[in-house]
Amino acid sequence: MIVPLDIIIFLVLIIAAVLAINVKDLLAAVALLAGYSLFASLLFAGVNAVDVSLVEAALGAGLTGVLFIGAILATSRHSTAKRNLRRRWTMLPLIAAFIGLMLFASTGLPDRGDPEAPAHQGVSRTYLSQSLEDTETPNVVTSLLADYRSQDTLGETLVIVTAALAAMLVLVRREGDDEDDTRGSDPGGDTSGEARGTTDDEQESGRDPYADEREGGRR
Amino acid sequence: MMTGAYPSVVVRVVGALLSPFILLFGLYIVAHGHYGPGGGFAGGGFLAVAAILPRVTLPESLAYKLVPVHFGPLMGGVGMLLFLLCGLVPMFFGGMFLDYGAVEIAGIAASRMRYLGILVVEIGVGLAVFGAMVTIFDVLMDRSET
Repeated sequence: MIVPLDIIIFLVLIIAAVLAINVKDLLAAVALLAGYSLFASLLFAGVNAVDVSLVEAALGAGLTGVLFIGAILATSRHSTAKRNLRRRWTMLPLIAAFIGLMLFASTGLPDRGDPEAPAHQGVSRTYLSQSLEDTETPNVVTSLLADYRSQDTLGETLVIVTAALAAMLVLVRREGDDEDDTRGSDPGGDTSGEARGTTDDEQESGRDPYADEREGGRR
Repeated sequence: MMTGAYPSVVVRVVGALLSPFILLFGLYIVAHGHYGPGGGFAGGGFLAVAAILPRVTLPESLAYKLVPVHFGPLMGGVGMLLFLLCGLVPMFFGGMFLDYGAVEIAGIAASRMRYLGILVVEIGVGLAVFGAMVTIFDVLMDRSET
């Protein structure tokens, strides 16, 4: 860990995050988020968490960016966020209080790499000392994830596959669906006509953005 | 719809050139998790990128011939099943769920068995992540089959 480099990376992270929220062009926002992930992975690599760093670079900077771009291609490239000044002024003290709370809590954390820290007591000692003997795997992270804690990994994989299935359920258009339906407002197939009957309000909120999106998509 | 041949030749050529190497790197990451950074999650991510890059840059007919649409859900299911089976097999040998060391095959030590179990699990996770990501992309692009 090199302290000046870390400070620079943190500054870049904050700037990238603020810009990504404020920029109007969503493609630029995606690029900024990918840059954010890359710098975050640098930060992880700086503290020798190479596995986390690789996952952050591959999934954070690569895949989520691609998925976001896919979503942009399917909808609109320009954000139409409304600026609500009053809400901003009420949010500000809340965010400040949250940051203060986090900073206060961080003073109670053990130093990084402290061998007496609670996280390094108990089972982790056994894992670290026994991993090579038990599993012949030099990379402790891998033996932890896929052997000692493989049920956690099973759960995580299940979550990802479930996410894909849920995306299919929500987004796939079936035969017999109304052709005019946008994918965004499609409630997902065979809800009964009554439940689906659109009141004027729903129509307004459902259709108006669509017109915008179509114009945006053609640009 | 929006996928398909990208107008610029440079992007098309670079996409076509890069994706096989990304695929190879993904396989390496999946298989090399024992000795270096990586494993199923990151490797599956690279595999998915290698499949998605042609879809964004190359002509549709070619890209969807390389990795067909039904590949996504198929691989997701196969990977998940591989993981679950890998967890179930030790139970037939009297071990616990996902306790690969309990599997007894003559000539292979328990620690070696766990090593192999980790490899199979990583491959399963890699396939599942690959399938899930490709599925999500296809669904977003309105190209999925039901």
